[in-house]
Amino acid sequence: MHGKPLAVFLATMVAAVAAMAQTEGGAPGQPSVTVLGTKEVQGILGREIRSTADENMGRIVDVLVDGEGAARAAIIDFGGFLGVGSRKIAVAWQALHFVPAAEKRYSVVLELTRDQVKEAPEYKEGKPVIVIVASGKLEPLP
Amino acid sequence: MASVTEFPPPSSPHPSRRSLKRLDWFVFLVADVQTGFGPFVAVYLTSQKWTQVEIGLVLTIAGLVSLLGQIPGGALVDTVRSERVVAAVAVTMIATSALIYATWPIFPAVLAAATLQAAASCILGPAIAAISLGLVGHAAIGERFGRNARFASIGAGLSAAVMGGFGFFFSPQAVFFVTAALLLPTLLVLRGIAPGEIDAERAHGNLPELRTNRPRADLRSLLGKRPLLIFGSCILLFHLANAAMLPLMGSVLTTRSSQWATVLIGACMVGPQIVVALFSPWVGRQAQRIGRKPLLVAGFAALPLRGFLLATVRDPSLVVAVQLLDGLTAAVLAVMVPLTIADLTRGTGRFNLTQGVVGTMMGLGAAISPTFAGYLSDTFGSPVAFIGLAGVALLALAMVWFLMPETRPKAEAIIP
Repeated sequence: MHGKPLAVFLATMVAAVAAMAQTEGGAPGQPSVTVLGTKEVQGILGREIRSTADENMGRIVDVLVDGEGAARAAIIDFGGFLGVGSRKIAVAWQALHFVPAAEKRYSVVLELTRDQVKEAPEYKEGKPVIVIVASGKLEPLP
Repeated sequence: MASVTEFPPPSSPHPSRRSLKRLDWFVFLVADVQTGFGPFVAVYLTSQKWTQVEIGLVLTIAGLVSLLGQIPGGALVDTVRSERVVAAVAVTMIATSALIYATWPIFPAVLAAATLQAAASCILGPAIAAISLGLVGHAAIGERFGRNARFASIGAGLSAAVMGGFGFFFSPQAVFFVTAALLLPTLLVLRGIAPGEIDAERAHGNLPELRTNRPRADLRSLLGKRPLLIFGSCILLFHLANAAMLPLMGSVLTTRSSQWATVLIGACMVGPQIVVALFSPWVGRQAQRIGRKPLLVAGFAALPLRGFLLATVRDPSLVVAVQLLDGLTAAVLAVMVPLTIADLTRGTGRFNLTQGVVGTMMGLGAAISPTFAGYLSDTFGSPVAFIGLAGVALLALAMVWFLMPETRPKAEAIIP
């Protein structure tokens, strides 16, 4: 039922987190399991993003990964009123900060303001991706 | 042309003030109920961790249903004897759909809800027009459609503001709970319209005094009517030019102004509704007095003008002012589309089926519009996209001007 991007994305997150978390080795031939605390990790699809100035920056709708499975950019649905005029833009993964769920109400913070993001071109699948990086500059994703 | 002018003025029906007031409120509440189902569905489903692929699929299927359902929906309303019951069922379907969205956002349920809402909308539109025509008859329908447009736009504007607030302060989910809760007042108001005052024959576009000498027209003979085909094509071109203009302008606004974009887009959505609320009853009265064509030409002329202005104006507050032209066009269209159809189908018993036919052409235009505008804006930038849309609008205007006949029946011209 779920589309490809989510599957890819979940796989990415699991891979990325697995590298950090403790792995409990099972018996040979048995799949090993990893236990992640609920305050340690979180799903981010559809999560609202705030800017450092606490502005609403929209919601994460997709994550772009490279051949190694490393996250390169997040696609956020930005702006608009009741769904009119919103636009999907790509922001560099490094510009996003994930505050542990236990600490704050808004757990994803983008190191950019609305003013810096407003010029970003719309993200379109199958077209070269222009990513807005933490300095506010636009860079094509190689 | 000659065929629509020969009828004597029908004996005027006498709807009670109470029924007419209830119809005002019903139109108002239906517009409220429909507000949350626009582009907002995508926002809501995103907040429920839906992927873009799934959201796209649901919206596409709902779009197809609402396109293909127009003609069957209209045919259904022409067949039934109680327009009130049909309207009640449709409103209940929409409220059910809202409740499913709010409580059960999983793929099959939402797909069913979206389909339900799209199908119900195909019935509800013609049903409201049919109740109106059944209540007041052809002689007074222009002004009645004007009132309908007024209350629909007050409802849409007000609920966009209120639901926008609910979505912002509570959760996107809250919008759908509010929508579902509106079912009760909507049904109560509908009950207040006296069923005895809605003449089923009039509601279907028949003239009761001529009931015996005319069989019901079939779809083929309807589609053979030249003025109807011309009108349908005008409407198709109009929506091809119109549908993408507001969203395109919205995304342009978000690139220009960061702080105020949301407020400005809100103003661009609500502002025209105020214009419609103020103007549409006047449009209805003028349509009876000076005829349909001058108003149609004026309404269609405002669209290319708006396109050209949006291509050139840069100041965000001026954009909102230009957007008020949208209200002018919308006021004319909201009255003139059902009114022209009522004119063209006098005595055929196919008023609602014909609304379905024109609705399909409207939907086709609106469906192609974003792709057309999106292509232009991606390749050449948004000013060119606005000018492209304005070009299509000019074509629609030329068609109305040169090809569309005056449809006001001669017999009514003497009634002030």
